Amino acid sequence: MARDPAALAALLQQRLVVCVGAGGVGKTTSAAALGVAAALVGRSTAVVTVDPSRRLKDALGLEDLSTTPRTVALGNGAARLDALALDTKRTFDRLITRMAPSSAVAQRILANRLYQEVSSELGGSTEYMAMETLHELLHEGRYELVIVDTPPSADVRDLLSAPLRMTELLASQAIDFLKAPASIITGSESRLMRMTLGTVLKALERWTGLTLLRELADFVAGFEHLVDGFRSRARDIEQALHAADASFVIVTTAEPRTIEATRTFDRELRAGGFPIAGIIANRVYEFPPLAATAGRQVPPRLREKLLANYADFAALSARDRAALAALQRDTSSALLATLPALEEPPTSIAGLRAIAAQLAGAEPESRSRPRGAQ
Amino acid sequence: MNDRGSRLQTPNAERAGEAGPRDVSAAEANARRRLNARLRQPYPAAMAVPPLLFVTGKGGVGKSTLTAALAQRLARQGRRVLAVEMAGDGSLAALFGQGALPTEPASLSTRLDGVRIETRALVESYFRRLLRLPFLSRRLFASGTFHAVTAAAPGVTEFVVLDHLAQWTATGWLGRRAAYDNVIVDGPASGHALRLLRAPRQLGALVPRGPLASTMNRLATLLDNHAHTGVLLVAIPEDLAVSETLETRAALDQLGVRLTRPVLNRVWPRRFSVADIEAVSALRARRDEPLLAAAALEIGARREAERHLGRLRRAFGSPPLPLPELCRGGVDAAAVAAMGRSLERAFGGHGA
Repeated sequence: MARDPAALAALLQQRLVVCVGAGGVGKTTSAAALGVAAALVGRSTAVVTVDPSRRLKDALGLEDLSTTPRTVALGNGAARLDALALDTKRTFDRLITRMAPSSAVAQRILANRLYQEVSSELGGSTEYMAMETLHELLHEGRYELVIVDTPPSADVRDLLSAPLRMTELLASQAIDFLKAPASIITGSESRLMRMTLGTVLKALERWTGLTLLRELADFVAGFEHLVDGFRSRARDIEQALHAADASFVIVTTAEPRTIEATRTFDRELRAGGFPIAGIIANRVYEFPPLAATAGRQVPPRLREKLLANYADFAALSARDRAALAALQRDTSSALLATLPALEEPPTSIAGLRAIAAQLAGAEPESRSRPRGAQ
Repeated sequence: MNDRGSRLQTPNAERAGEAGPRDVSAAEANARRRLNARLRQPYPAAMAVPPLLFVTGKGGVGKSTLTAALAQRLARQGRRVLAVEMAGDGSLAALFGQGALPTEPASLSTRLDGVRIETRALVESYFRRLLRLPFLSRRLFASGTFHAVTAAAPGVTEFVVLDHLAQWTATGWLGRRAAYDNVIVDGPASGHALRLLRAPRQLGALVPRGPLASTMNRLATLLDNHAHTGVLLVAIPEDLAVSETLETRAALDQLGVRLTRPVLNRVWPRRFSVADIEAVSALRARRDEPLLAAAALEIGARREAERHLGRLRRAFGSPPLPLPELCRGGVDAAAVAAMGRSLERAFGGHGA
């Protein structure tokens, strides 16, 4: 059981913690457990989850998670812990309403058919909204620590560059193009060329159906007023992510697929100059070789099954150990903690507390205390 | 699987409609075209893997492994198969011992080809064909704007990708064979797969007529055709993966796309009987030790798997197909072959 107490304690003193990692590694649960750990050391904390499972909601003791923060009942001695979930569409609507120069402009965008179709699917919008929610929370200043779980983006660059990409899209010549398609081809003054172009574009309009282009133009033109706002927010978010009080945590399991993803995350975060606190390895098997006398008290038939089963887990443990050792050799990121595989995911606040305790140092009173490695 | 059948109970009446008056509304014409296309295709034997199969599910459920297993199995049975990588993460290529699949179909083994979908290049070449004039397309692509717009515009890339996929299963003139008997598309995660399968309808609603609209219609018809297109939903015994499968199922049902029997991958084999489980629990209450903790992990994982199998069974109204967790044996060629054999049962096939 590896653990780096100093690094973990320092992590909980940050202002912003971003959990990244491949899909299905228990990123959301880790983020929630970090939130519990932070609140238990007295930090008022918000945890932003992207796609919370029913169980995690149960574990947090919350009926439902929405964009409105809900307080998790942690009991005496703990600081405030709020949880909220990302809702791409609603965050987008709110953003439009806030940033539009007038409510008429906001209404025009919100009512656009294309906006309604794409606002939750627009390229990178989930990623963008994760960053946007983070910005809101940091800006409000209600919390000492904001922990963000991130969408299972295959590419960390997609996630972190989302604000910038969104701005680029809106600020690009796209708007000009859609308002007057001929403007995209610059540098040609020849009349013949413009005429040819005009014909081609007419054909294109026929091909796509006129209404589509017009509506698209209207949609993008509506956004034009928002570009400056988007740009300054994107800058703010960039700054917040690079600040000294921000840390990235890469969550992984010891499986080849996620180990590989972790290497990529590590490399790309470093390349982007983002501060990495380290790696949390989830669902790690830690079953060392057994003494020959193990299970003597068990009836022989059952003992045989138990031993065969244990042998499988010991093999898995060896594989996990080797994979994590290789990961540490290949990346310069510290292993913050390894968390053992559980019989079932946490279903109560006690379950989350047990994981938090493993992260923050207090020994869990659970009898299935992790054993084995280190 | 056969809900489609009931709609086809009166083929003669529907066929009679073909000779109807010309001035029917566009919607009626569309509906009739679709129906006619379906009637021309014989309803497949239940066990047949549809010519165009999308393998989809949450990230990390084993879509690539399943794709490779099924592709190899079908090729071994004499079918000409194309395995398509959409995720772009090289996971399918890796299973065939390659760094990356090429963007034009290339042989992986006997009767099995592989190809990678490079969305951006596809979109470019689509518009290049459309614009015909090379200098125009060069300017258009160089601007950067073009890619920003097509990437963000709803359904454009999806439409181009679908159009590209359809070429491999399309039958030629005079019944000429399609390029492949089976095209198996690996790896659009559920959300993306939905967008892909929804694109012709979504764009079709925005584009009422013109050549684009008719391409849209052709694609929509292809996706609706249960004899041609199917979706294999894959989950693993985890809450979110199964929830995603259930949500995708609901959405695909609305679209009318054919779903095969769902797969629950990575199910731990049952090792302990009910009596064993009770004994382990009693022993643990007295004195816990690693030997028993390992058993508890196994029992817990199996219990989780049963719970998720139950969820899927209730939602689909038929039992899902469990596939074993392979990690303990490692994913080797034999394991993949075994998986391919088991997978046939997802199509009600020979292996059952």
